Amino acid sequence: MSYALIDLPPLGGDIPEAPAPGGFRRFLLNLALLSLAFVASVGGLIVSTVAASAETAARTLAFVTPGDMKSGSLLFKGSEPGKYVEAPRVKADYDVTVSGPTIRTRVTQAFTNPTDGWVEGVYVYPLPEKGAVDAMKLIVGDRVIVADVKERQEAKRVYEEAKADGKTAALVEQERPNLFTNSVANIGPGETIVVQMEYQAPATQVEQRMSLRIPLVVAPRYMPTPVLQTVSMDERGWGVTQAGANDPVPDRDRISPPVNDPRKVAPTNPVTITVRLNAGFALGEVASSTHRLKEQVLSDDSRIVALDEADVPADRDFELSWTPKSGPTPSVGLFRERIGAEDYVLGYVTPPAVEPQAEKRPREAIFVIDNSGSMSGPSMAQAKASLIFALDRLTPADRFDVIRFDDTMERLFMDTVDATPENVARAKDFVSRLTADGGTEMLPPLKAALFDPRPSEQRYLRQIVFLTDGAIGDEQRMFEAIGANRGRSRLFMVGIGSAPNSYLMTRAAELGRGTFTHIGGTEEVDARMRELFAKLESPVVTGLSAKFEQGVADMTPKILPDLYRGEPLVFAAKIAEAKGALTLSGMIGDTPWSAKLDLAKAAPGAGVSKLWARRKIDDVEVALTLRETKPEAADAAILKLALAHQLTTRLTSLVAVDQTPRRPAGAKLTRADVPLNLPAGWDFDKVFGEQPGSELAPPEMRKAEAEGLMKVAYQGVAQAKAPAQATRAVQAQAPLPQTATDAELKTLLGFALILLSLGLLIVNPARRRTA
Amino acid sequence: MSAVAAIKQEAGVRAGFRLSGRAVIAALLALAGFVLVGQGLYIHAKAALAQVLLERAFDDSLATGKPVKAWGWADTWPVARIEVPRLKQSAIALRGASGEALAFGPGHLDGTPEAGERGTAIYAAHRDTHFAFLKDVTPGDEIVVRRADGSVARFRIEGTRVVRWDASGLDPHAAGRNLALVTCWPFDATTRGPLRYVVEARAID
Repeated sequence: MSYALIDLPPLGGDIPEAPAPGGFRRFLLNLALLSLAFVASVGGLIVSTVAASAETAARTLAFVTPGDMKSGSLLFKGSEPGKYVEAPRVKADYDVTVSGPTIRTRVTQAFTNPTDGWVEGVYVYPLPEKGAVDAMKLIVGDRVIVADVKERQEAKRVYEEAKADGKTAALVEQERPNLFTNSVANIGPGETIVVQMEYQAPATQVEQRMSLRIPLVVAPRYMPTPVLQTVSMDERGWGVTQAGANDPVPDRDRISPPVNDPRKVAPTNPVTITVRLNAGFALGEVASSTHRLKEQVLSDDSRIVALDEADVPADRDFELSWTPKSGPTPSVGLFRERIGAEDYVLGYVTPPAVEPQAEKRPREAIFVIDNSGSMSGPSMAQAKASLIFALDRLTPADRFDVIRFDDTMERLFMDTVDATPENVARAKDFVSRLTADGGTEMLPPLKAALFDPRPSEQRYLRQIVFLTDGAIGDEQRMFEAIGANRGRSRLFMVGIGSAPNSYLMTRAAELGRGTFTHIGGTEEVDARMRELFAKLESPVVTGLSAKFEQGVADMTPKILPDLYRGEPLVFAAKIAEAKGALTLSGMIGDTPWSAKLDLAKAAPGAGVSKLWARRKIDDVEVALTLRETKPEAADAAILKLALAHQLTTRLTSLVAVDQTPRRPAGAKLTRADVPLNLPAGWDFDKVFGEQPGSELAPPEMRKAEAEGLMKVAYQGVAQAKAPAQATRAVQAQAPLPQTATDAELKTLLGFALILLSLGLLIVNPARRRTA
Repeated sequence: MSAVAAIKQEAGVRAGFRLSGRAVIAALLALAGFVLVGQGLYIHAKAALAQVLLERAFDDSLATGKPVKAWGWADTWPVARIEVPRLKQSAIALRGASGEALAFGPGHLDGTPEAGERGTAIYAAHRDTHFAFLKDVTPGDEIVVRRADGSVARFRIEGTRVVRWDASGLDPHAAGRNLALVTCWPFDATTRGPLRYVVEARAID
């Protein structure tokens, strides 16, 4: 991804020179002066403090950047490049059609430019992480502009040209796999703009339950806990939602616009959702855990569900789940779509659950728990409760160890030990005394857990259970460590808190051949951990393979993953003609299993081809992560898929240009205009507020994290919004480390002090005699 | 206390056989002065000596093809030699740009590609030691980076800029094969600041 992060040391500018590694001090001739370092440390302290306060002020962000946004909101470009102010939203409508396993969503949002100038709007909106945006329409007055998919640079060029010519234009770019930006140029004074996007996403199946989730947040930035879960879908957005002390924008509440007030939001920002549910099987319960619904039954297997008008809290994700009327959810689902001369097939197959054998293999479990500062509060309590639950499930035949980490790490036992009651009690005591503090150095504990002193031991199942919120930026190094060291271990990621880094978790679990479990609240600990342990203790479906009887199929995922209890195998394939049989086979524990599907009987499913392409793109990204493919080859493959299937990716964007120039030649459309165009009722001081002093700076330990978050924000901005004519200065920002020593300052100060003392010595005797 | 007493005594001897408050203060000031000068020199001595050791370790890693640490307890290792032939300057760069690494040599920023790979490789070093020579480079100068794997990448300097540390405009995934050498700016400042001097170069084949 082009916004992969740079792992930098704390950049506070106060990296002290003095503490060289102890060993180096030993080795170098240290002039014996360091034994008196206490005197100098006073001098050093002054120097550091000055430097620190100089940069602290510079570190605060007074504006919003698209990376900060968790909801769809229209941002107006601010006076500085990459900075925006937000405009109020008017209305949003979600029209969702569920066809079996695929979900087609059309999002229509109408915005009003409340200013009396011409503005360029930047619209940021979240989507499900597996969603594929393939269509966008811009409706200005009676004009409908349909967007085309173009290579990203080309799309941007087209957009910038239209913008300069006074034509209305729109550009959709991917900020992150689940965060998109829509720039709209030349919005007239007081004008209402309608933006309509469409995306395709797969339904989620867990055991009996199918579900869909729409990231749907009206109130921007500051949201109650359930809303933050939207952002847990956020692929690259590690930690962007961290609230409180870790917040990179400690003054964020000052820039929250009035639309944030839920009492005002409800009447002015109505959200309507209509779901046309065609499940493909007789429906039982249709329910939403987040919103009240009204439903209209059309037939056994189809219903129309809409939000109950009386209750529209559009301040959290919308979730809808449906189950079959009787019996289990069909364990097989097969859908097809014909595009051009090719068929696309999408299949869901849930292998039967096989009860664990009486004599199951004992487990060698390594529990890793994150007690860094970002975990403080409910997250730590949930992590502890989860780990204590896990420790209670151990049997004396199992072996285990516990590792805790922040920016340091500690391993309870040096190697795994037998889970005797004494050892388990000791571990529980250790866990219960953990407190959340410090930075997040996740790589050493991960490597320690992956290090396997007995790689060929077959008597035990080696399982790593990793509990964290994943607030780190060096995901790539984590992935590499997992890819290189996984051996026989399986990695189960447990995401803690309202906004774990789900990109890290999902891919780490995929690479580590385990699962990702999200625990969003203390009340969920028990149920989710129980599910996880059912998976840990049940036989795994391994060695899955698929064979097409007729024709060669381009199947994705390329290598079928191992499955845990209740998990469906989801695959997509492109084949010349979908006919004949598809045979799936594998081993459930020690039992061979196979299933034969008749492709000709697949039901029609719109959008299957797009899901196939999106899934292929994921394959390419994984291969790139594992360094199995060169970046050039990966980009070429992604570009080809995206253009063929009209998908917005990190390399392709949607662009629409209205050919009629609208903005009069004299009227300006510049970033500098915008502060004048602040929406009515906004307090300029609150938006552009005083720079907070150093007392608002994040605590030392968290600086690195906070800066990491800023990196994301900046890079997010840069990716999408730097206008073509802007310099590279607003493009992806790699923050740079402090590269000045205080050698010169120290030397100068030193000489000054020596001179002073000489002066004293010379003057002194004379004075005393005269006195 | 005994150290202070000794200092007092010594100061007293110099000040004419009597212990005077002023003499003690003068002695302490002088001592503090020497400590500070010593620390300043120490920073430079450490930077220079480390480069000698790193040079040796880098030659070893070129010969063996494996990362070689310059001293046993180092937490980083040499990854490249950066040369500016016109100025006859070179420095051995270390992996990572932590404060510790930068004390010994230029650091290769984590998350940026290796020099000569696609994207922008970024190396940072202190303005008063290893990258002091950056103030003398001019567009058109050649930079040669020999990596630990033995491969050599050549770059031509395209320009220099002054940026804020958090608005560098350097995209590690930019198109093309680029190199950026970064140090603090201004070069003659004595305190630390938010500005950085960036030398941008593009690969030549």
